[in-house]
Amino acid sequence: MKIDFTQLTQFLQRFKAKPYKIYPIFTPHTGKIIEFKVKEGDEVKGPSGKWLEKPGTPLFVLEREKNPKLIRAHYDGLAQNVRIELLNRFVEAGELVLEIRHPLTQDEIISEILLNALLVIRAPETARYILSSELGKRLEKEGLGKVIVKEGDELLIMTFMKRETPIFLKEKGQYIIYQIYFKPFELVQAGEPLLGLCPVEDLPHLEKIIQRIKDEWSL
Amino acid sequence: MKDKVLIANRGEIAIRIMEACEALGLEYVAVYTKEDEESLHVRLAKKKYRISDYRDMNDLLAVADEEKCTAIHPGYGFLSENYRFARRVVKRERPLIWIGPSWEAIRDLGNKLYMKKVAYQLGIPVIPGSIEPIYNEIEAELKAEEILELAQEEGFQEVSFLVKAVAGGGGMGIEEVKNLEEIRPVFRKLRAYAKRLFGDEGIIIEIKIPVFQHLEVQILGSKHDEYVHFGTRNCTIQSPFRQKRIELAPGFCENISYEFDPKKVEEEIIQHSLNLAKHFNYDSVGTFEWLVTPEGKYYLMEVNTRIQVENEISAKISFIKNKPVNLLKEQIKVAFGEKLGYSQRDIEFRGISLEFRLIAEDTKRGFIPLSGVITKFDYRDYPWLTIRTHVPKDKPYTIPTQFDPNLALAIIYGENFNDLMEKSKRFLNEVVIEGKTFKGEPLATNINFLKEKLSDVYKFLAV
Amino acid sequence: MLIELHKKLKDLLELAVYIKDIKGEDFSSIGNLYENLLEFYHNFYEIPPERISSLINDYEATLKKILLKAEETLNPYEIVKITRHPQRFTLLDILENVYDSYMELGGDGELNIDPAIICAKALISRRVGDEVYFHQVMVIGHEKGHGEEFRRGGSAAPWGNEKALRYMKMAETEGIPIHFYIFTPGAYPIEDYPGAAQQIARNLFYMSKLSVPTISFISEGGSGGAEAIGLTDLRLMAEKGYYSVISPEGAAAIEAKLKDGRPPRELVEKMAKALKLTAKDNLQLGTIDRIIPEPPLGARRKDYDFFKRLKYEMIKATDEVVLQTRSLKMFRKYALSKQTPESFSYFVNWELSEDEKEILIENRYKKYREMTRWAILEPKGFFKSIAQKGAQLGQSIAYEVKYRVLKSSHKTFKKFWEDLASESSLLLKPVSDPIKTVYNLIVGKKVRTKIRMPGEIESESDFYVSPLALQDKTVTCPQAEKYGCPDLWVPDLYGEFCGVCPNCGYHFPLEYHWYINNLFDKGSVKTFNDEISSGNPLNFEGYAEKLKKAREETGLNSALLSFEAKIGGISIVAVMLVADFRQGTVGVAEGEKFIRAIELAKISRRPFIALVHTTGGIRIHEGTMGVVQMPRCTMAVRDYVDSGGLYIVIYDNNSYAGPVASFLGSAPYQFALKSTRLGFAGPRVIFETTGQPVPPDYHSVENALKRGHIQGIWDRRELRKKLFFALLTMGGPNLYYR
Repeated sequence: MKIDFTQLTQFLQRFKAKPYKIYPIFTPHTGKIIEFKVKEGDEVKGPSGKWLEKPGTPLFVLEREKNPKLIRAHYDGLAQNVRIELLNRFVEAGELVLEIRHPLTQDEIISEILLNALLVIRAPETARYILSSELGKRLEKEGLGKVIVKEGDELLIMTFMKRETPIFLKEKGQYIIYQIYFKPFELVQAGEPLLGLCPVEDLPHLEKIIQRIKDEWSL
Repeated sequence: MKDKVLIANRGEIAIRIMEACEALGLEYVAVYTKEDEESLHVRLAKKKYRISDYRDMNDLLAVADEEKCTAIHPGYGFLSENYRFARRVVKRERPLIWIGPSWEAIRDLGNKLYMKKVAYQLGIPVIPGSIEPIYNEIEAELKAEEILELAQEEGFQEVSFLVKAVAGGGGMGIEEVKNLEEIRPVFRKLRAYAKRLFGDEGIIIEIKIPVFQHLEVQILGSKHDEYVHFGTRNCTIQSPFRQKRIELAPGFCENISYEFDPKKVEEEIIQHSLNLAKHFNYDSVGTFEWLVTPEGKYYLMEVNTRIQVENEISAKISFIKNKPVNLLKEQIKVAFGEKLGYSQRDIEFRGISLEFRLIAEDTKRGFIPLSGVITKFDYRDYPWLTIRTHVPKDKPYTIPTQFDPNLALAIIYGENFNDLMEKSKRFLNEVVIEGKTFKGEPLATNINFLKEKLSDVYKFLAV
Repeated sequence: MLIELHKKLKDLLELAVYIKDIKGEDFSSIGNLYENLLEFYHNFYEIPPERISSLINDYEATLKKILLKAEETLNPYEIVKITRHPQRFTLLDILENVYDSYMELGGDGELNIDPAIICAKALISRRVGDEVYFHQVMVIGHEKGHGEEFRRGGSAAPWGNEKALRYMKMAETEGIPIHFYIFTPGAYPIEDYPGAAQQIARNLFYMSKLSVPTISFISEGGSGGAEAIGLTDLRLMAEKGYYSVISPEGAAAIEAKLKDGRPPRELVEKMAKALKLTAKDNLQLGTIDRIIPEPPLGARRKDYDFFKRLKYEMIKATDEVVLQTRSLKMFRKYALSKQTPESFSYFVNWELSEDEKEILIENRYKKYREMTRWAILEPKGFFKSIAQKGAQLGQSIAYEVKYRVLKSSHKTFKKFWEDLASESSLLLKPVSDPIKTVYNLIVGKKVRTKIRMPGEIESESDFYVSPLALQDKTVTCPQAEKYGCPDLWVPDLYGEFCGVCPNCGYHFPLEYHWYINNLFDKGSVKTFNDEISSGNPLNFEGYAEKLKKAREETGLNSALLSFEAKIGGISIVAVMLVADFRQGTVGVAEGEKFIRAIELAKISRRPFIALVHTTGGIRIHEGTMGVVQMPRCTMAVRDYVDSGGLYIVIYDNNSYAGPVASFLGSAPYQFALKSTRLGFAGPRVIFETTGQPVPPDYHSVENALKRGHIQGIWDRRELRKKLFFALLTMGGPNLYYR
């Protein structure tokens, strides 16, 4: 285990000092912003409901080729730096439109801190990733924190240079898939975390850490 | 109103299109994606827009409308052979000129089975095999039997079959079968595979041509029923994944002895290609790909309804009324409805030209494409050498991971075969590409592979 | 003595509660009266005993007066409340009081696969002169309970209906009649196997030809749930019962277009009236056969006189059903003779011979075929389409055959059929030759075709293009977020892509014309019975205007198109439920057209295809007239399938409720296009009934396939091909007989 309780206290203090994350919202493609649905300081919500079936708060309408498209929030938080000057302008793809200041939830903080505690599989290349089909099925069935993998197991498939390359677990021992840090088919920069694994024998320690974070955070 | 071209592509072809536009006095707009910000085509473009994806038709058209473009050049790859895009470009409420053949030609010639059927009707030799998709294994076996008979009549020995998914391509959904008994199981397996992967169960069976050369004919047609050709090219040297690595023009070489009359074969495949082009009222540049066997038999394989990467080697050996040729310019001119202004008799062929594709790939380990940072890219300038690249010489360049890692094209012109070989060797010895992968290892390129393969040019090769 | 008075007082208190619940507190000051009674009850032992008796008598007299007044002013919604009241008699009360002895099968209170359904073997006795005779019957019905939660108010789960079917089959094996008791607000709308809709359909399909006499008694007849055990030879109904297509609350919610929350009470009462759900209404509409009288304000669990009457009526009804299979003479004699609850004049043996069983089933078919026919709107005259004439002619011949010929000689019957078949196939164009070749290829006959013979080049002009395609714009696939689908150019989407997202396979809805034009061979579609139109049999307020609007907008007279067509040269009969006309809901016209179409398929021995563009269920504005289309049409399906017909259903868009729970869900082969939502009740109804929200993909075809409700998922882009191959592979050598 790469984390002890002194370190943990430091991490927690860091998060307490800045208990939020800023998510920039970019235009997904070109077009004209024909309407802003939020203004500075508005509260927005990400998808909700038991199955996330209720979509997030509408942020703005981007029209391209006569298709007005509602761009919605994917995170809870407050809208800030809303670039109202973009209204009725043609924008390029990937233009920053606003930011969402997202207060970190307990789970998110746990997930961030665990990056320092877990064996993290990082993206070897800037590419798109998906879970290997077998692992995907097992995770769907059993859920995070349950599925055990061992050396040589196929974990991920990387779509890179128009080819699909499998990524295998190289470390010896048995590991539990504990965290997933990427979204399927989204471009992940090289070095960004993909999966967080926990050695089976370290699970009790990890659970203690998580309990500690929960206790501290709720204070 | 002045015409304005949207360049719907990236890299070196975007640069070549820009140059052609400038030479013709046309305005243009370039597009790029986030990953390509360092690319030379973005630096050189005067007017450019960032889009989400080179394949995103909606972004391209939105930019075209915003910039009031009147035409769109698709380059090669991406949307260049997408007949739906071509159709949309010309059929929308604010139509644009599609710099390429009509969408019907793209559709019909792009459908290999349909193209094969039409070619057959026109008396053009096609690879013996089925010309309708087969959905049923009994039928498959029957066809295979007939193909076998036919192949034996034509003098093939030890025939083996290629069972292919109609919807497949690029080496996917294709399997070799050595004897008839295996047809059924392979057919069933492939049908299931094709259904899963392409959603279409159609299968075709062809005989496998074991040894061949890959020749292609460069055609140009205009909207005024004019057709010319710019000779042939030889693209036999490919990677194991059937990607071209060295191309030469013309397709046959005077210094090589053949079992057949190369002049006659060349004339015939050119004539067949022109016939097929005329049948489809082909009104742009296009490439007709042929397989030629050591015995001098030839079969039409497919038609590329776009400008080819290797178009420039044909341009180098062709002279219209003694002037050099730029096929991109010709393509744009005919798209705007101009007449050719010359006929086949005005085109002369002189010399011999070769193109190397310089690629970041590990030729020792399964030709895997590599990504990384190019720190040094250097070569000496010669009047006989043209380098086409989007990699800047003056600063490090990161290879984007979404595209093929093509770095540069080196086009070399020689007076004759020996002259060409000498210049080619010199170039390969002098060119320097250095870089590092993300893991810090030196970046491999295919330069050594190209050196090795140089001795194979103009040979019949077995796959 | 005092204890008896106390008990009497308790009964009076219960009655007061009952009247108050049904009529409301303000009715004749029943609220006050109740308060006083309650106080009286609490202070019972403090009041001087000599006063108690007279006080009780006073209260009794007052309550009786109120009761009679309550009965006089009873309205339909109050009747609905009566059937739902915990004091009302339940099936267990009936088993105790109507039958002489019974044994519950597969249930002991809560220990039951579905406590909302009870099955029991029971003995019922009759006195003829000095003799007492016992009959064995199977009793199957809903148990509402007197307020017990686990009974779910008589709402049968899919496996409850499956259990019911199992015991029906047992009764059939044993040759004993079945008495069905319907006490249900509706089926429990969950999709778990065997599935609410599919199981009801299976029950209906089987009940169509149950070879034993079946009698049903309706107290609370909640739509599809009631039909699950309601297709019977004789349908009795309690005087204070209701039988309806939907609960008045449900109808009000739809009428008020409510997404959630309760509809206003006035609207609920208005709907209860408009739905014509009382016994009297249903008798008039012909959806039931007779009414069993009840005491004022309905029978409660201790109304023993009512049970006596019910016993008599059940025996009599069973007798009549049995006698109708024997001779008319006997039946008449029985009907004219004096039967009383105390004593019958005759003993009737309820066992049927093989011949009698045939007639029983035939009578049942006739009964349902006739039901609601009076309400069919169709121009009379000589200008009927040929197909229709053919259907009627064929039908009459078929009846002739079954009635006359079958009895005398089986051989003649067979011969007759053969003749008929050969003639009709001549008349109706047989399977054409080119198809035979294709068929031969599929079954493996080696046909030597010359390779390298190029076929005809297809022309694209044959393709019908949706008017939706004629706009230069793009749309976003609803699944874009999940699968990263690019925006689609509308002319591509609705043209070449057949309304299917090429990236994720999501099916955008298309107008029904697309299917009619692109699925079948060019020019082969010929509609028939177009002039049969939806009417307003209940005089439902506002419905006539809605129909008029639908007619004007669509140019159709009903939501069901029936037509003959060819697919790859194979001649078929088909129907299509069209979304544009009242969301593809089914009423009298649709039911009748369906039956006529499937009958045509039967006599012309052609495959029958039902395309469901969308169906929203049974049209509530036609009340039980619509509901009985479920058994009616399912009987026609059974008849067709049993005679060897190939029946294929294809669902699209939204396919829900009654039709799925009957004539569609009973098809041996059911396929659904991708993106269809298929099920019994929508998410809102499920939430209201079960209190549990369902996941967004609850009604997806993938789940329907997983649950075993359908046979496969098809893609619209290859629908024509799939259908053609389905006909060939499932149709057998001549595409009709299995």
